[in-house]
Amino acid sequence: MTNERLHTITDWLSKPVSIAPLVTFRLVFGAVMVFSTLRFWYLGWIEEHFIDTQVTFKYFGFEWIQLLLPEAMYLLHALMLLGAIGVWLGLFYRLSAGVFFLTFTYAWLIDLTYYLNHYYFVSIAAFLLILVPAHRRFSVDCWRKPELRQLQTARWTILIFKWQIGIVYIYAGLAKINYDWLIAALPLKIWVPANDNLPLVGPLFRWEYTPWIFSWIGMLYDATIVFWLSWRPTRVLAYLSVIIFHGLTGMMFQIGVFPIVMIGATWIFFSEKFHERLLRFLEQGWPVKISVQKAASPRRIASWTFYLLVAHFALQLLFPWRYLLYPGNMFWTEEGYRFGWRVMLMEKAGTATFYVRDGAGGREGIVFNEDFLSDHQEKQMAMQPDMILQYAHFLEAHYKENGMRDPRVRAEVYVTLNARPSQLLVDPNLDLTTVEDSWAPKKWILPYDKSVDDEQ
Amino acid sequence: MKRTLIYLPGLLLILTLAWACKKDDPGSERPDFDRAAMLENYAVNVIRPAYEELLAATNTLSGRWTEFVAAPDTDKLAALQDQWLSTAIAWQAANGFNFGPAGEEGLRKGLIEEIGTFPVNTDKIENFISAGDATLNNFDRDSRGILAIEYLLFGHSGNTQDVLQALEDDNRRIYLAALIDHLYGEVDRVATAWETYQTEFIANDGTDVGSGTSQLYNEFVRSYEAAKNFKVGLPAGKRAGQTQAEPQLVEAYYSGRSLDLLQAHLASIDRIYYGKGLNGGDGAGFHEYLQAVEGGPTLIASTEAQWAAVEQALAKVPATPAFSELAAQDDPAVDALHTEMQKQIRFFKSDMSSLLGIAITFNSGDGD
Repeated sequence: MTNERLHTITDWLSKPVSIAPLVTFRLVFGAVMVFSTLRFWYLGWIEEHFIDTQVTFKYFGFEWIQLLLPEAMYLLHALMLLGAIGVWLGLFYRLSAGVFFLTFTYAWLIDLTYYLNHYYFVSIAAFLLILVPAHRRFSVDCWRKPELRQLQTARWTILIFKWQIGIVYIYAGLAKINYDWLIAALPLKIWVPANDNLPLVGPLFRWEYTPWIFSWIGMLYDATIVFWLSWRPTRVLAYLSVIIFHGLTGMMFQIGVFPIVMIGATWIFFSEKFHERLLRFLEQGWPVKISVQKAASPRRIASWTFYLLVAHFALQLLFPWRYLLYPGNMFWTEEGYRFGWRVMLMEKAGTATFYVRDGAGGREGIVFNEDFLSDHQEKQMAMQPDMILQYAHFLEAHYKENGMRDPRVRAEVYVTLNARPSQLLVDPNLDLTTVEDSWAPKKWILPYDKSVDDEQ
Repeated sequence: MKRTLIYLPGLLLILTLAWACKKDDPGSERPDFDRAAMLENYAVNVIRPAYEELLAATNTLSGRWTEFVAAPDTDKLAALQDQWLSTAIAWQAANGFNFGPAGEEGLRKGLIEEIGTFPVNTDKIENFISAGDATLNNFDRDSRGILAIEYLLFGHSGNTQDVLQALEDDNRRIYLAALIDHLYGEVDRVATAWETYQTEFIANDGTDVGSGTSQLYNEFVRSYEAAKNFKVGLPAGKRAGQTQAEPQLVEAYYSGRSLDLLQAHLASIDRIYYGKGLNGGDGAGFHEYLQAVEGGPTLIASTEAQWAAVEQALAKVPATPAFSELAAQDDPAVDALHTEMQKQIRFFKSDMSSLLGIAITFNSGDGD
């Protein structure tokens, strides 16, 4: 790219626009994060996820992220809460955003069991928030230092959130374009009837065509909603559908705060005028007035910020496609499945039985998984090859510590995918202690046998 | 308006596709399923009669004990032992419902831990007896319940004279009487609580965590896994890390009636799967529920084929010598039973929960 071209682009990105949408985003995101951190604490999940835990499943490349002492886990969440409050109020804003980003990300990176796309989204949003001046209006920081106040911000500071949300939705929509989702209406053919006791809509869920309608609407919604939200004539209707869609999925599935996160985050698509009016309303109602002589002007995008964002979005656009480099059915092998906005996409469950023997001739025994894993850990492990491998290595170390000289671990794992008869996921005769995880295709995963479908 | 214009043809397309797909899928003609009716069947025909039966058996046991104490002799001991077996068998039909009134609450563990813990710790029992402590006011659940009663009625040696002699001791009698009272009290509490809990159980007719279906299903799987792991696998030395069989770990080690109890336990699993009751009542159960869902008929076929193999393997286990001795000798019949029971797990566990869309844990899933 020539310097001149680059300059045109950065000029465009730096053009001043109203700061109001960004400030609202900070307020909404901060509030939702305060709520979600408190909720996590209140539900006792700090204890359940991070304290009564014998095994943690690591993210590849993040093995150094360790479970901390119980006190430190509570401290981590206390810091997370302070960070979220700081973001919300705009108090020591950049520091708060940084603290929240680091503590939140650290917490979910501890155990792969609890991987959720919306945790990944929250981490990205928190990271992007560090880069932008979302505290320069209607914030405690502005009250402390009135000279911080800005009425305008550079265009990129708002666009990055729209792009990020756009990527989330569009990729989630693209992921739904597959045979099972659109033609077989699976997994919705399982999930919809299981929710036929919901108030009002329940009876509709018993209708045999409902799963197809939901599948197609879900795909079209995800793939196109950001365009309807971006276009003024359809915006209000589109936002209503955001509320209905996320509200309904929130009732149907046990997906925690995700619906509120998205219902809140999509506000950013509303017009400057809307956000201006909202902020002015809030400012007028606020007891503490901020004296304003003059507002500071937005700064031009720094070149390091520019390149950082280019790298970030390139990664965002490309990383989800890595599955194409692996042979086999991605839904089956899950190679390249995570970090690709594949949400509520398949119904998958497994039963994993681990056999351990000491040396080739030792007495073979079955592991009682509940001795080491929580119900949720066992459930997640039993269908994900990389977790199966990690657990096998954990067992090797455990039995070595308990006196075995040469523990050999094999696993018989039967997995059912989208209501089809379960089949073996990995080679049941392979000693998993001889296998190491890597980016390379996992040759020890047995291929998904399509012929099983045809018997149905 | 524009949105409607775009979505309308889309909707028509979906319906056409759905209709086209449905036509060449003969398995899709499935009946609607009423989960509340299924739960009612479980409550009325399966669960409550099981508790009532157990309560009646315990009551009779208590009567036999009174008769025995009045004039102890070999016959009365035999009658007492027989009634213990009836009680333990009745318990097998009731041991798979450890939720609601039979679930954990505060310091109280699930009913299965309160009255069904095994193996019992005979040292603890003897210590309580010699200390004259029959309060049962402790957390040593391996010193009370049905299997502790068994120990006191059958003894280490299985010799009737030894048992009769030991039961001349007042402390021992007081302790045993306390165990029978405690057993009756626990079962009575649960059976009574179900009178009111039934409404709540049936009304909670979703598939989320805490729903009637989810609780019942989770306990069903847990019960089957417990039978496989603790009544067969562990005594036979099938657990990783065991270097040999540990026959003393069987349920009902002292009476040698482990096989009877295992048979009763698996018969109960069978009844729960079909939604059948002890009294012959047979309404909708998991089997009928599976008939109504995607992929259900295929799973039913696999489940029942494997279950037949389990029953066959169970029938091949000889009644004598005792199951513990068979386990100790690495008997191939025990080995085969364990293998077949293991193969059954996936059909009950992951396949069934996946097809029925039952939530198993409270944790958040991936949103959309």
